[in-house]
Amino acid sequence: MKNINVLSTLLALSIFTNFVFLSEVNIYTSRHYDSDVMLYESFTELTGIKVNIISSKSQALIERLRSEGSNSPADIFITVDAGNLWKAQNYGLFRRINSKKINEIVPKNLRGENNEWIALAKRSRVIFYNKDIYSKADLQGLSYKDLSSPKWKNKIAIRSSNNLYNQSLVASMIAKYGESYTENWAKGLVENFARKPQGNDRAQIIAVANNEADLAIANSYYLGLMLSGKKGEKQLNAGKKVSILFPSQNEEGAHINISGAGIIKSSKNYDNAIKFLEFMLSEQAQKHLVENTYEYPINKNVEPSALISQFGLNFKENISKVSDFGKFNSAALKLMDRVGWQ
Amino acid sequence: MALLNQFLKNMFRFAPLIFLIILITPLVLVLLSLFGEYNDNWNHLYNYVLPNYVVNSILLILGVSVLSTILGVGTAWLMTNFDFANKSWLEWAVILPLAVPPYILAYTFTGLFDSYGSANELVKTLFTLDENYAFFPNVRNIFGAIIVFAFTLYPYIYLTTRMAFINQSRSLIEAGKLLGFNNWALFFRLAVPLVRPALIAGLALVIMETLSDFGAVEHFAVQTFTTGIFRTWFGMYDLNTAMQLSSILMIFIVFFILIERYERNRMSFTYAGSTFKKTSKKKLRGFKSLCAFVFCFSPLFIGFILPIIELTNWAIFYPSEYFFSTNILNSLFNTATMGLIAGIICTIFALFINFLNRFGGGNFLKLSSQFLSLGYALPGLVLAVGIIQFFSLIDNNLTKYFLGFSLVGSLLGLVLAYIIKAYALANNTIESGFQRISNSIDDVSLSLNGSKLKIFFKVHMPLMKTSIFTSFLLVISEVIKELPATLILRPFNFDTLAVTTYIYAAEERMYEAASPAIMIVLTGLIPIIFLSQLIRDSRPGKS
Amino acid sequence: MKRDLLVLKNISFEYESDKEILSEINLSLKEGEIIGILGPSGIGKSSLLRLITGLEKPKTGEIFYNNETLCGEKIFVPPNKRGIGLVLQEKALFPHLNSLENVKFGLRGSKASKEAQAIKFLKLLKAEKFAKTYPNSLSGGEQQRVAIARALAPEPKTVLLDEPFSSLDTDLRRDLRNDTRDLFKETNTSSIIVTHELEEAKVFCDRIYKLENANIKEIF
Repeated sequence: MKNINVLSTLLALSIFTNFVFLSEVNIYTSRHYDSDVMLYESFTELTGIKVNIISSKSQALIERLRSEGSNSPADIFITVDAGNLWKAQNYGLFRRINSKKINEIVPKNLRGENNEWIALAKRSRVIFYNKDIYSKADLQGLSYKDLSSPKWKNKIAIRSSNNLYNQSLVASMIAKYGESYTENWAKGLVENFARKPQGNDRAQIIAVANNEADLAIANSYYLGLMLSGKKGEKQLNAGKKVSILFPSQNEEGAHINISGAGIIKSSKNYDNAIKFLEFMLSEQAQKHLVENTYEYPINKNVEPSALISQFGLNFKENISKVSDFGKFNSAALKLMDRVGWQ
Repeated sequence: MALLNQFLKNMFRFAPLIFLIILITPLVLVLLSLFGEYNDNWNHLYNYVLPNYVVNSILLILGVSVLSTILGVGTAWLMTNFDFANKSWLEWAVILPLAVPPYILAYTFTGLFDSYGSANELVKTLFTLDENYAFFPNVRNIFGAIIVFAFTLYPYIYLTTRMAFINQSRSLIEAGKLLGFNNWALFFRLAVPLVRPALIAGLALVIMETLSDFGAVEHFAVQTFTTGIFRTWFGMYDLNTAMQLSSILMIFIVFFILIERYERNRMSFTYAGSTFKKTSKKKLRGFKSLCAFVFCFSPLFIGFILPIIELTNWAIFYPSEYFFSTNILNSLFNTATMGLIAGIICTIFALFINFLNRFGGGNFLKLSSQFLSLGYALPGLVLAVGIIQFFSLIDNNLTKYFLGFSLVGSLLGLVLAYIIKAYALANNTIESGFQRISNSIDDVSLSLNGSKLKIFFKVHMPLMKTSIFTSFLLVISEVIKELPATLILRPFNFDTLAVTTYIYAAEERMYEAASPAIMIVLTGLIPIIFLSQLIRDSRPGKS
Repeated sequence: MKRDLLVLKNISFEYESDKEILSEINLSLKEGEIIGILGPSGIGKSSLLRLITGLEKPKTGEIFYNNETLCGEKIFVPPNKRGIGLVLQEKALFPHLNSLENVKFGLRGSKASKEAQAIKFLKLLKAEKFAKTYPNSLSGGEQQRVAIARALAPEPKTVLLDEPFSSLDTDLRRDLRNDTRDLFKETNTSSIIVTHELEEAKVFCDRIYKLENANIKEIF
């Protein structure tokens, strides 16, 4: 879909026409991994169904889907973070996914309440620590709740409240403990910040590697990416210095979030869409996915990449509904503002 | 035939009106939100976050104003009144930072001065210091932001005050000297008050650009109106509250626009009829010469040379395959296309409007033109908000039903934003170009049976070649640098160089950001080179 | 008796809202006649010329030319349709065209005929030497010759001149004045010249008007 001619760009992008000559499935995705392209090609080889991709930021895609309405050519919407899926669901964009196969593979808490969407991969928001300073035993049993204790004053690195992953974490706290408790917790957490929130998740991990902070809160797969060497030597070296602690193992379990997908209500290729989703959950696809992105697979028959499993495999996962993240997102944002979490 | 003529005549009169309406509607829609509903989010913002935005904005304005004034007026004063080492090229080189948009300077700053940035690494290696030692202070705060804005925007002040200093009559300075003023007193008590209008005009530009920025403040995690608008819209999915925030920002900025206009008019009165006398320059030697050089060179170094060094540093780390990756080439192509389209439309429209004005278009036309020029000062973010609202309105009531596609998300929104933003540049250039053609030429042309169209094509156009070209260039450079509006309005899979830089930088993938960033700076240099030529030509003593 | 070519009847004109510069002016120009309009600077002489060419509109009054109404109750012929030549003090040559192209500007017809006509008039004004030269390389006097040639080339019946010789020094002035007058008489071109020098007017013109206090009266 590389349009070179500006005139045709002008027209084509505004008038999205549907040429149905092959069997195909149209996907709007906010995932930006180059490795996904190979997956799509595999799917086409297997099924003969052509895959068309439009990728952009989640918010932009949702707005687009809304304004396209029933004219939308999209069949599937893929995004990261259950909060985004919930938002799309809330706008009435999804159609129920009816597939026994899918239901067998994806546990209920990782799906929309009425199967509006399903998880394709998992990630955990974990605690990173510097191996030279702490051992696993030192931090055993550390929970998210503990992070607000004054013991960790000026020791915690976490990114801005603008980021959806953090909002989902706070939302899950609200869902479990209520707003009042969570607000107190967040207040304590903010006082423990080693520095004003800056940079992305990786920057927090690097801060711990550089002793600018003792603990960092970030998504699990980043360590895999850093250790893979694909992101350069600096990141590789920083990655070697840190390790992962899965929080709240004695309590509710580590916070789990997902990459997921839903089928668009007005989809004209429902069956192809189901086939695609089933493919993404197949062992072959899941293996490819996790080997490249270092997320955790949904399919139980697949092992995560060695680079990430070395830090722990059968950790206790928080099995509460990820659909709560979206429900409580707005409250979470406002709460974070109130406690001064920039 | 007569009917056709009538139609054409009326079309000429209505076309600017229609254009004006199209350009104003987005802004009006934004302002209207102030009178609409204020939902829950607004109360939340008001209590917890709005004060932050206001305080930060004020701090930014104060800090940037002071610093950029020192830099701009200081360099202008030194260059017009003294000769010192290397002054001849410093005189025009000092505006080079204009080619570096604030967000790019922000990215290079963090690349240099973050605790594991290149500058700190260099210091550590040179002085074999501890691994964890950070020599340079943290820049990701409001102080870093102030420095970034001051060092990329001071050239505006340099340019305006320099002209003012040059136009000062020598006798004024000599009178001051006779009254016993030493150099410092001359500067503060005579020169600065005299160039006040020029200073304020330049300062207004600096402040407007500071308030409009999104990329730099976001990167430095400074909460201002622009980051707030973005967050409310995309984080809270609340376009309505985002519009209300935008209106407030707009009002702030209109305030500064009015100041700028007022002072700019005062400037022309101050120099009306003043005979220019070549100011004699005092030659500085030795230590004084060195001080002057360092003072004038430092802003050039920090605002231009340093970022270029850092960008090149990154580019070397990720050579050729990333520098010209398909992604980046696509961005380059898109940027060039948008620049060309906007350049052509703005220039043609500026020619049209100014031509009509020349033959007595009437007050309405003059006012419209002035109004259209306001678009320059508007933050790209606010423009984007207004345009999306505007297009949504049209979509929901018109295009979706009758034409089957939506304006929202199409390239049209982006083009419209660029035109609104850059029209002022085209207009000012074309306007001064026309002013240089004496009206007598029009008079005799008419007496030679030349129709107005013939005059336009055979007389005006050939004489306006440089102006047309300059206008084109200025619009293109503005399009290249634009970030926030592009981020929001662009269609799928349509990135510009600015957007690509932003995306990489936001993911802290600095090496990959080098390539598009360098392209932005290089293309930004082209109009600067023309500007510098004008500076060289305007040296005192040259006719 | 030669007929009236140009007639101004009760022309009034004001610049700003209440300052009337010209008040009920009556003036006539016969075919082949050269008349002068005299008066100090700023009095409105140029405005009078601009009214005649159509670059300004009068407040009241009518202008007749060659048996047609140029300007009246409901009629206003735009300047580029009046066929009246104009030479200004500041010459106003097109800087991007050479002398020949300047002169060709107002001509119609085939390329060859335009070229021939232009050269003819450059010769008449003794300016053919610098046909290919650009205005910025010409002296004041040379520029003015080209400007006059340009105004005459379309062979208008009337040419208006606004202080055309004032920026030239005495000798040049005299030569150009004589050449111009001779040329006008030869081609039977009527002309109105605005000047502030009485002596010049006496030598150049057949009749002289004086503009004073927004009124005009004939002297000599």
